[in-house]
Amino acid sequence: MIAGGSDVEFAVTEGREQSSYTEVVLRELRKSRTTVVGLWCIALLVLLAVYAPLLSLDQPILWDAGRGVSMPLFPALFNRLLFENSIDVFFNLLLVLSPLYVAVGLFVRGARARRFGGRAKVLGALSLVHLAVFSAVAPEQFGPLPNPLHRSSHVVAYRIRADELAAAGQAPRAIFPLHRYGYRETNPEESVQPPSRRHPFGTDTEGRDVLARMIYGTRVSLTIGVIAVAIYVAIGVVLGALAGYFGGLIDSVISRFIEVMICFPSFFLILTLAAVIEKRSIFHVMAIIGVTSWTGVARLVRAEFLKHRELEYTQAAVALGIPTRRIIFRHILPNAIAPVLVTATFGIAAAILVESSLSFLGIGDLSVASWGETLNTGRAEGKPWLIIAPGLAIFFVVTVFNLVGEGLRDALDPKLRSR
Amino acid sequence: MMIPTFFGISLVIFVVLNLAPGRPGAQQSADLGQQARNQDTEESYRIFREQFDLDKPVLFNTRFALPRASVLTDVEIAAGERPASAAEKIAAQNRLEDDGQYAVPHLVSIMRDADAARSTKVRDAAAYFLRLSAPRRLLHPFDRHPSRGVRAYNDAVQNEAAKLRDLRYALDAPEEEKRRVVVAWERWYDAHRDRFHYPFMDELRIFFFDTRFARYWANLLCLDFGVSLVNREPVLATLFSKLKYSLSLSVASLLLSYLIAVPLGVFSAVRKGSRADRVLTLLLFMLYSLPSFFVATLLLYYFSEGSDYPSLRWFPTGGFQSPGAAGMTTLGSIGDVLRHLALPLLCLTSGLLDVIRADYVRTARAKGLPELLVIGKHALRNALLPILTLLAGLLPAILGGSVIIEYIFGIPGMGLWVVDAIYQRDYNVVLVVELFSTILVLVGILLTDLSYAVVDPRIRYE
Repeated sequence: MIAGGSDVEFAVTEGREQSSYTEVVLRELRKSRTTVVGLWCIALLVLLAVYAPLLSLDQPILWDAGRGVSMPLFPALFNRLLFENSIDVFFNLLLVLSPLYVAVGLFVRGARARRFGGRAKVLGALSLVHLAVFSAVAPEQFGPLPNPLHRSSHVVAYRIRADELAAAGQAPRAIFPLHRYGYRETNPEESVQPPSRRHPFGTDTEGRDVLARMIYGTRVSLTIGVIAVAIYVAIGVVLGALAGYFGGLIDSVISRFIEVMICFPSFFLILTLAAVIEKRSIFHVMAIIGVTSWTGVARLVRAEFLKHRELEYTQAAVALGIPTRRIIFRHILPNAIAPVLVTATFGIAAAILVESSLSFLGIGDLSVASWGETLNTGRAEGKPWLIIAPGLAIFFVVTVFNLVGEGLRDALDPKLRSR
Repeated sequence: MMIPTFFGISLVIFVVLNLAPGRPGAQQSADLGQQARNQDTEESYRIFREQFDLDKPVLFNTRFALPRASVLTDVEIAAGERPASAAEKIAAQNRLEDDGQYAVPHLVSIMRDADAARSTKVRDAAAYFLRLSAPRRLLHPFDRHPSRGVRAYNDAVQNEAAKLRDLRYALDAPEEEKRRVVVAWERWYDAHRDRFHYPFMDELRIFFFDTRFARYWANLLCLDFGVSLVNREPVLATLFSKLKYSLSLSVASLLLSYLIAVPLGVFSAVRKGSRADRVLTLLLFMLYSLPSFFVATLLLYYFSEGSDYPSLRWFPTGGFQSPGAAGMTTLGSIGDVLRHLALPLLCLTSGLLDVIRADYVRTARAKGLPELLVIGKHALRNALLPILTLLAGLLPAILGGSVIIEYIFGIPGMGLWVVDAIYQRDYNVVLVVELFSTILVLVGILLTDLSYAVVDPRIRYE
């Protein structure tokens, strides 16, 4: 009984301290104007990624050509002919479920939230459900599950239909997305067109609309950044924690391994791995970036653990007989995670750069809308609209994450604040 | 210290090597290799296998004790006598091909028994695999100038292979002809029986050394990295000819960025917080975030000879030298190379400036500004230490970054070579570049460590 009680109390104090630490950091973050702008930009990018189909797709949100009102956009979100890639399926599902998230965020608070263990927990449960649904509807890559939502049904070219009807004098009542092109629509007759009213950013060699590819490219870049970094943070944290906490033989083995991995020029290693994988998908690219870039995190975490394992609170935890796993992950890790957060934010920018470099070299996944691929087309064709738009997009995303990373570093580390 | 690290590096590359795709065309051909397989992938696989012995087991080879039952099962699956899925059929075929010479005695006896039992399909399959496995392998097949012993051995192998090539029959041949071939195989096997029976010491040797791992290490120690798919030249020789371009590019960009960044750093440290400092910081931060391939493509579009704007055609579109460089004077050719390298260097350098300068400023501030002002020499010397540390960390980044720059500007260095090799599935090249770029970094780290001692006499190495 007593042990249980003390455990609960620990959890409570831990939670309170953590939130106050978070508050301090947030306050520091808000002090820097550039960081705030950067955070808003990231929010904007996420919104752009989630709501891409509402901005750019050849499927009307509302359609009424005299035979009743229909909403073709929503079934189209799960049509394999329009959205083949799992990344798109994930974000489309997020689009459909986003009102639910907002509702939970707005209304489940206070006493009602506490009944379920706090708002964060409710949102967490919701996102778990989301992930479960996603893995059920995602394309084959994710396993043998049959796919109830993801169908390949006939796609109506509504843009052309609307034009035809308008020409016949029966203009349909329809609400289209802002831009009426999907990112995979090819049109050989309109290849390599300069910017015009219909294609504000022009078209590429296959006649695909560049603006649409820029919009949907946000999804790819954000996913690459987050997942690749999540992979290598996980690897780095576990290895670094083991090395730093246990020391001795484990430490020297892991440290030697880190030394070996540091010697590899990571881009060459990524290229080699990409070369030996025969059918590359975007998930391979993420995994490759993940398994090649963990050394920095591992070294950081190891150093932090070496420091923290000697501190009194760790000694106290050991003396209380708390299991080692709990000491590592619940006691030391929250104290050691701050520098990792900074590295991870910079890492997102770096991962996005690596992915676009890979697709620039033509070694990426050609089925997704990658900015690097468009840029490479521009280089080969020598057309500025195919160079500038994707280049600025990459530059923008990388800068935003680097800015936030710098802000976070200054906020987390008082010693560097003067810089 | 170097040697264990190098061992680790080779180990990692060995792991990567084993991730490489196995037999190509495994998806397409379900029949006994009768469809025309994709010629190119087949050839690239053959060269790759020749180099890295991909048909051998990874760590230990126990094929000298291959049980007859398992060979029989595989032959039956391959012949379609046993119910099996297409994937299982392909796997059985690949196993039989990989077993190679170790399966020969069993194949002969299976063929004889099947012939006696009149199960023609199994017999035909066994004959097919026998013809694949019985000939010995050539020694160093891509060596242009083999030694006399090797040549004699290879001649003998080829003579025998030519004879064995006749020991086959079309599937619709009359039964007597098939019979004759079966008998000829038996006779051949009786004559060469001791080639397939291994005394204990041989078994021991095969167990440990006829494996991928052992052969990989043997190749590394002999500096034998195989030939390139493209021109059948040894990879290593080509590598050294490419190294010239890559090294000059990365060393020049490093020097250039230090030359620019350190004065800028001194400026920032002295004029801390001034408007000029803030503008500089922002500018370098932007340069750092600009993707180098974007800058490169833009520069190439606007300032090269292919530019749409005639007044801006200042630089060549790519390459390392002009085609007529051989006839130039020394000064002229240096100028020519510089004109070619100006844009690539600009792209490589711009990204490094911020990193180096930020590090310098931090150090200079930690040492205290007055010290920096009063005794510039001492401060500079102290500030060099972390800069050297940074150098070791920058090396991999520069080598990696030069891949894309070489690709865009068509500089025939390591980076462009490896990208082309990836397109052509030239795995020998990919692996040798990987290994050597790593060695370069390792050497760079070592040199950095040694130069610590030069900069700071307090640091000594035993």
